[in-house]
Amino acid sequence: MQEQPLKVLTGTPIADDGDDFTFCSTCAFSQACLSEGYDKSVLRDLHVLVEHVGPFREGDHIFREGDPFNAIAAVRAGTVKTYVNDASGREQVLGFFLPGEVIGLNAIHTARYPCNAVALDTVMLCRFSFPMMATLAGRMPGLQRHLFNLLSQDIGKASVLAGNFTADERLAAFIVMLSRRFAERGFSAHRMRLTMARTDIANYLRLAPETVSRVLRRLQDEGVLKVDRRDMEILKPEVLDELAHHVLRD
Amino acid sequence: MQTISPVNPTRTWRFDAELLRRYDRPGPRYTSYPTAPHFAEGFGETDFRDIARRSNQDPIPRQLSLYVHIPYCQSPCFYCGCNRIITRDVARGRIYLDRLEREIATVAPLFDRDREVVQLHLGGGTPNFLAPELLGELVGSLGRHFSFSRAADRDFSIELDPRFVTPADIELLSAIGFNRTSLGVQDFDPEVQKAINREQGVDETLAIIDACRRFGMRSVNVDLIYGLPKQTLEGFGRTLDTVIDARPDRLAIYGYAHMPRLFKAQRQIEDADLPSPEGKLALLELAVQRLGDAGYEYIGMDHFALPGDELARAQREGGLHRNFMGYTTHAQTDLVGFGVSAISHVGDSFTQNHRDLPSWEIAVDEGRLPIWRGLMLGNDDVLRADLIQQLMCQGEIDVRKVERTYGISFGEYFSDSLAALRPLQDDGLVQCPPGWIRATPRGRALLRIIAMCFDRYLAAQPEGVRYSKAI
Repeated sequence: MQEQPLKVLTGTPIADDGDDFTFCSTCAFSQACLSEGYDKSVLRDLHVLVEHVGPFREGDHIFREGDPFNAIAAVRAGTVKTYVNDASGREQVLGFFLPGEVIGLNAIHTARYPCNAVALDTVMLCRFSFPMMATLAGRMPGLQRHLFNLLSQDIGKASVLAGNFTADERLAAFIVMLSRRFAERGFSAHRMRLTMARTDIANYLRLAPETVSRVLRRLQDEGVLKVDRRDMEILKPEVLDELAHHVLRD
Repeated sequence: MQTISPVNPTRTWRFDAELLRRYDRPGPRYTSYPTAPHFAEGFGETDFRDIARRSNQDPIPRQLSLYVHIPYCQSPCFYCGCNRIITRDVARGRIYLDRLEREIATVAPLFDRDREVVQLHLGGGTPNFLAPELLGELVGSLGRHFSFSRAADRDFSIELDPRFVTPADIELLSAIGFNRTSLGVQDFDPEVQKAINREQGVDETLAIIDACRRFGMRSVNVDLIYGLPKQTLEGFGRTLDTVIDARPDRLAIYGYAHMPRLFKAQRQIEDADLPSPEGKLALLELAVQRLGDAGYEYIGMDHFALPGDELARAQREGGLHRNFMGYTTHAQTDLVGFGVSAISHVGDSFTQNHRDLPSWEIAVDEGRLPIWRGLMLGNDDVLRADLIQQLMCQGEIDVRKVERTYGISFGEYFSDSLAALRPLQDDGLVQCPPGWIRATPRGRALLRIIAMCFDRYLAAQPEGVRYSKAI
């Protein structure tokens, strides 16, 4: 089993300071719950379990398409990829989830997970179990609102796929979005580790893997970014922003 | 006695005889870190396939360097410690090539096609044991299974024994795609040649060097060895003059490592014929002086180059790297090795093919990867390998950059190494101003010794590992 690389990226560590009664200081759910007046003991009474799960090793599935829905989870460490298999059995990547982001949201309104979620590296989750989904919706309206907020952010991430954009534009949008997501979590906006394989990035952006590399190589030659193995450094963010502008519409 | 060239007083390296004598101790050449003796059996095909797959998955997968080992030699040179098979039967070369092509067909598909080959090197043994037609077939096969870079700075090189190649062959080799050659000479002194069983004429050698120039080889390297039996300052001096006159772009001056217990061929060399340690050092000093006077720059680790050669330029500009094939201008590539004993370096792993021909043949015939042993670098290995690279190529370590990149406190992490460096500092080999570990001009002649301070494996040697002396 390969060790995690030693090369470090600064950022806010995911806290592990909660207990049976209090949320961890970095909990993705605590704000929503507390603002509705729900602390952990109340959640327990509602049979809503918040617990740390993992580690999932690279390649481990967190849930599979068709599994009965019973929980959403926030990524505490690592990267999760969601995907479906098309009619011919080919994998179609739906998205990537970084620390602090929530998986399983798109299953809330169905009874089953509509996709697969797999760990791309060593993944730790904070799982928020929902055994009585229907009852809960009625009892925790504020929380549901918060979750739908997260869900709409999720849908927003997929905007790179819509529209007739060039490979350069798609890749720039992908990198800019990643950069913003990392920055929101307290990580560097300009130095990131791409844990996802180039075939996954390519699949997600509907490009060939060679195209992804060709575009990145060109951007590297032009001094816009620098890539060393899985580490990427953005040198000229304004160039990427310009390229991504039409895709992200902001 | 220090050698400072009057021609080039600003040269950044010095050979101090007293220091060299004091530091004449065994040590690795650091063509890899960890070194090959630490590779473990049981690391094999499954691991390599997984590592190759991962290496394809980087956003910009690394370009490729290819190495092919041709183990055959027509005639045994007594000094040789390389992996070789002595034979005059050229048919064996054909048989070997058939299997090489099989190995290529098995291994090449593991690497994505958009990863270009920017470097190709044939070594041995004697690569020109294979006639140019067969070498053409080999390169053709590689070209079909891999994507050769078409850039002008691609580096396709071949080691040649000038005794068994003609100027017409050089023309063919150039047409095949080789643009760089390395020629064995060792010493032109007839007495030495007899003692090492390598009788090689000056004229035939110069004709090959000339042919390399005429047929577009952009760089020619000549190998010399000091410390050989029957070697004298006069004879070696004449060799140096002759070689320098021909103005090869590069020169490698190796110290003969007499280890007859390890290398059978060396038992044919009489101990009594060998120069004394002082004599050996004097030969090195002579070489260094003559080369310096002739304008050659010292690259490191026994290698010299003319100032206009791309290695010298790369070193000045900070773009010098080092891999199994020696110094190179090409940035980090993944190295794939073919043939008996060949070493690969893919991702954070090293693997080595079987060293004995029958095992390699059986694996290839069975469609398996002919891997004998290997290892996966851990975090500590990656870090130390980086430091040793920096030392070998730039002669210095950027401590602050290392701390930032790896998230360590250098002083804490490397307290043992820094302690080991102190005597070297006292001896003037290395300086440690804030944020740097820097070889002095004297220290640049002893980079190996400095590197050894960072080698975690030297404290605990596996059984039977023996290194040649650092001089």
